[in-house]
Amino acid sequence: MMENLEIEGSHKNFFIPSVNFNAKTGICEITGESFLEDTVEFYRHLVDWLDNYIEDVKGPMALIIKLSYFNTSTSRSILDILNLLKDYEDDGGEVVVNWHFDENDVDMEEDIDDYIIDTGLDINKIPY
Amino acid sequence: MHYRKDINLLDFHRSLDKNTPLSYKGPIDDQILQAFGTYIEGLLKESPKASRKVFKIFVELAQNISYYSAEKSILLNNKEIGTGMVLINELADCYMFMTGNLVQNDDIVSIIEKSEIINSLDREELREYKRQQRKLPPGKRGGAHIGLIQVALTSANPLDIEVNPVDDDHSFFSIAVKIDK
Repeated sequence: MMENLEIEGSHKNFFIPSVNFNAKTGICEITGESFLEDTVEFYRHLVDWLDNYIEDVKGPMALIIKLSYFNTSTSRSILDILNLLKDYEDDGGEVVVNWHFDENDVDMEEDIDDYIIDTGLDINKIPY
Repeated sequence: MHYRKDINLLDFHRSLDKNTPLSYKGPIDDQILQAFGTYIEGLLKESPKASRKVFKIFVELAQNISYYSAEKSILLNNKEIGTGMVLINELADCYMFMTGNLVQNDDIVSIIEKSEIINSLDREELREYKRQQRKLPPGKRGGAHIGLIQVALTSANPLDIEVNPVDDDHSFFSIAVKIDK
């Protein structure tokens, strides 16, 4: 049985997002802020978990992103995750992506639009 | 008694008028990043939109100095940290955020080229340029090659870049970014 991935977020020297990936439901949440000392290393764990889920569980996946801030190195890691999900969807996987954003943050909405163009994924934009 | 010869703190203070709430020269390590980040959030709490923008721009430019400045400081934990300058200036209708640091002359052409490309593009073109560059393999510090592009997008104004030669190997690279209130 595959284990869940849970990382508690914090807002200290760096901003660590909260991560809650559920192997049973396929609901994967990334929330908070992302500005890390070693972005590649942090997101490698997330990508590895998603890889395993896609290989072993092969279930439906709902990625829920609610990040009020992320830096540019994070933005690249998010692209890796979205591309992974797009590949899964192209291989027949059931994938939903919901992206929550502050309705006053037009830059964030633009970022989401850029990911839609970049990946070809249908990303649901949900203002709050 | 006068010990000092070359540095006049009063001149330095005068050169920064009362609208300069932050000026710094030194290593930019994790603690400085955090302290300034928190300070900027507090400083601009009256204008949350500008605050978010200044903070985002600060993180990208300060991290560039921390990783890539040609001037390094060795901290107690033997970590080598890039050194540079950070300054915030408040004007009637905008904030000006500036950074400056030494760059190896070998790297200067590519930085100038990238800046000129950025300033020649409109917003849509800039977004496309960002998407192109983001697809490249990450840099050696996990960078996404899009820090300066993101700074230009966030500020929504052209980048004001200056490069002045310092010696045979180094130039002083400074960038001023305007953030409308």
